[in-house]
Amino acid sequence: MLRTLRAVLARNPNNAILLAFLVATFLVLSFLMPGKFLSLRNFQSMGSQISEFGLLSLAMMLTMLTGGIDLSIVAIANLSGILAALCMKRLIASGVWPAESLLVVAVAVAVALGVSLLCGWVNGLLIARVGVSPIIATLGGAALYEGIGIIVTSSRGIVGFPDRFAFLGNGFLSIFPMPFAIFAVATAIFALAINKTRFGQTVRMIGANPIAARFSGLNIPRTLTRVYAFSGLLAGISSVIMMSRSNSAKSGYGSSYVLLSILIAVLGGVNPAGGFGTTTGLVMGIFVLQFLSSGFNIMAFSPFTQNVIRGTLLLAVMIVGYLLERRAGRVRRGHGRAPARVNEAGEGAPPPAGATPPAAAS
Amino acid sequence: MVSSAATRARPSLVRRVVRRNEFYLFLFFVAFCALVQGVSSTFLSLENLFDVTRTSAGFAILAVGVLVVLLSGGIDVSFFAIAISAQYGAVKLLLALGISNLAMAFLVSCGIGLALGAVNGLLISAFRLPTLITTLGTQTVFHGLLLTVLGSRAINSSDLPHCFLSFSTANVFTVARPDGPPLGLSVFVPITVAVYLLTWLLIRFTKLGRGTLAIGGNIESARRMGFNVPLIQISIYSYVGLLAGVMGVINVALIRYVTPTTLVGSELDVIAAVVLGGARITGGRGTILGTVLGVAIFEVLQTSLVLLGLSSFWQRAFVGLIIIVGMSITAYQTKVRNARNLVFRLE
Repeated sequence: MLRTLRAVLARNPNNAILLAFLVATFLVLSFLMPGKFLSLRNFQSMGSQISEFGLLSLAMMLTMLTGGIDLSIVAIANLSGILAALCMKRLIASGVWPAESLLVVAVAVAVALGVSLLCGWVNGLLIARVGVSPIIATLGGAALYEGIGIIVTSSRGIVGFPDRFAFLGNGFLSIFPMPFAIFAVATAIFALAINKTRFGQTVRMIGANPIAARFSGLNIPRTLTRVYAFSGLLAGISSVIMMSRSNSAKSGYGSSYVLLSILIAVLGGVNPAGGFGTTTGLVMGIFVLQFLSSGFNIMAFSPFTQNVIRGTLLLAVMIVGYLLERRAGRVRRGHGRAPARVNEAGEGAPPPAGATPPAAAS
Repeated sequence: MVSSAATRARPSLVRRVVRRNEFYLFLFFVAFCALVQGVSSTFLSLENLFDVTRTSAGFAILAVGVLVVLLSGGIDVSFFAIAISAQYGAVKLLLALGISNLAMAFLVSCGIGLALGAVNGLLISAFRLPTLITTLGTQTVFHGLLLTVLGSRAINSSDLPHCFLSFSTANVFTVARPDGPPLGLSVFVPITVAVYLLTWLLIRFTKLGRGTLAIGGNIESARRMGFNVPLIQISIYSYVGLLAGVMGVINVALIRYVTPTTLVGSELDVIAAVVLGGARITGGRGTILGTVLGVAIFEVLQTSLVLLGLSSFWQRAFVGLIIIVGMSITAYQTKVRNARNLVFRLE
């Protein structure tokens, strides 16, 4: 047991650091406020909160693995929430089924997932088939989806859903909050898909070296389209939980989650340039962030201060990552915004062994 | 203008014009203006022209900053956080000192902008961090620090130092008209023109400008060619910060009200306008003229939505649609061209 643990840690030092950080935050919080932090209720509440941005972080990780990014996840979540809420309201008003019927809930969930899958698929088409860069495609997509939500609702919130639906966000499976159970199942499926399937392998290869992946005969457009569609779907699952927990759907809800999910992905060891990242690391990142948030709330930091700390943490993690990489002797090329492109002239390709970098630029 | 690839034998002037992206943008702009004019005859009046150029000056100034960053292959989403910090800081300082001096306001605002921009540049160049994620992080930090340190209280028009109010109504010249008060061209306009001219000169004629394009083309090649990449990157992001400082002061004068909770979050609009103007987010390509047209089209589209009978709720979706359609066209063209030239690239 210990040996396997050590082997795992040696293979992935980032996860070792994360684990240490996680344990440290846990211990500090338990020590500082044992009554408030170490209670079943606090853990249940953290479990529900984790699921919303946890699912979004999974989406972010998936796109980052390919070297892309999805900035539209929150917009997709809000739009699918809004459309699901409208459907639910209409259904109940029409009286076809009683308000507390399971069918109403099922239709709402189906609409949310369908819309999110569609939005993600549109992103994917733009990126994979048309060739728009992921940043622009998902930024534009975010504006479009948010805009549709605003048009449909006239910028007002939709509130009040049946109790059956509220169960998804507020109910319990024995001691586990329902959202946490949903998140756990989604994470397990996600991990399997990434690690054990052909799809997951292709995703990683595209992120590690798109040119090599292409010349290996992998169907890159198809995989990329699916990646963004799945990213949308994960946002859709998150939207069901958000709707149910807040008992409302509104455009602009949870806009800070975009930054948070990027922070978690980077903290969890996902390389924004693509190709590398583990689900274990991501989940630890999610927990670290949640522990910190709980700590901030208990210490009554203002949301502004919390943002400063989160932003600083994001920058710090990236800087430390760079320094560690440099110490390990790997020099990062390019901007890091995207993997170094190998183009027709061979520029950006690794230098031949023994090539020395030019002396400090004159 | 900046990146004409006319190294081969120069084709005729007409050919060159027709081949340019800007030509089609211009056609679109003219056609759209004609359409709006058809619906509402007040659209193409001198009054409206003066008004639109005045209100879009700040936006246009930031757009040229975004162009420079995009040319270098990066992206900056922190400029509104910088602008609002610079603006609020300048107003607060002037109020605290009890003085009303526009030069001082510009000095403080630009100073804060420059410093925050330099932070971006330092982080990006020293640690080779991804530009989008870094500026997202600094955006949160700058804005959060502003709200934590200086507070989130809005300052009303009546409390603003007088210099902002007189700057707001200052005109370069006025045109008398028979019915009503004379029309004036705001001083914001020559400031904007000066910024565009300066940027054009910098890109076109300085080593810094050439370096910016070189980094955008291929950062590793630029490094090996001996360009001082860190210095260039710091200069680029500081320049964006400086422009954000200028925009901050103009914005106070324009809306005569300061609140540190606005602007941040609408960075996409500026990026959209620049990208619409033909700048590539992958770097190395984009022109000042394209940016001017991109900003013009964007502003006209936004202001005329209401004239065309669509409610303001449509604005957001419209922005998204513009970006997606505009980018899809250029991206698809590139893809086809790359396929024809056997260039294997994923962008």
